[in-house]
Amino acid sequence: MNEEIISCKEVMSHICESLSEEMDSPKCVAIKNHLETCEGCKSYFSSVEMTIDLYKKCTETLPDDVHKKLMAFLELADEK
Amino acid sequence: MNEEQLIASAKNGDRKALAELVKNYEQTVYSFAFKVCRDREKAENMMQETFYSMIKSLHQFDGNSKLSTWLYRIVVNHCLMEARKNSRYTFVEQETDESLFDEKYIADWSTLPIKNLETTELRNILDTAINKLQPEYRVVFTLRDVEEYSTEETAKMLELSVPAVKSRLHRARSFLRNEITKAFQE
Repeated sequence: MNEEIISCKEVMSHICESLSEEMDSPKCVAIKNHLETCEGCKSYFSSVEMTIDLYKKCTETLPDDVHKKLMAFLELADEK
Repeated sequence: MNEEQLIASAKNGDRKALAELVKNYEQTVYSFAFKVCRDREKAENMMQETFYSMIKSLHQFDGNSKLSTWLYRIVVNHCLMEARKNSRYTFVEQETDESLFDEKYIADWSTLPIKNLETTELRNILDTAINKLQPEYRVVFTLRDVEEYSTEETAKMLELSVPAVKSRLHRARSFLRNEITKAFQE
């Protein structure tokens, strides 16, 4: 598991993008100031990033027999 | 042949071109269906239905969007139809922001033993969490965060407004994050 350290700037950029705010808008500046001092928010947003990361890594490779069943189902098995 | 040529040939009845298109996208479609359904058998069925629909309606594909985007739209619809058969979801739209952003979940994840977990244990936790999420939120989270489509692209694929995508994404992230935290706290 990679333990990525996320910066306040990344968090702010993420939040501001979600809010459709420019990075230097009053709201984003206020958020930045808050994040610099709030450990709770920092760890919260860091854990949200980790959640996304966990789901990204949890993927599934198509098994060969499932590929063969698909091609047979679509009647494309003979098309090489 | 490039993709455009493959599509044109497939539309003209070239079975080899059609098989090539299926092969080019089967992993993408299967992987997406699995991420939404969290079940191999269901993912396999969703993939089969998706390509069956693709073959049936390829003549309607006008090339105004990417083929991948078009396929995502089809697989999303199949996944939503399948997921709606199962109504046992914890997370409902009426859930308040207060309950989603409760301070009890603001735990520092650096203290959680995620690293020590076996892959299968972690997978079970992730499966349990996402299976509780309503399918409409699950597809937004998967397209936007896991597949990394933009908010605008996700909105287009799901025929939702951009604010609706943002709102669902925000709530889905917090819900999943809280469920994972709870699993470690139990």
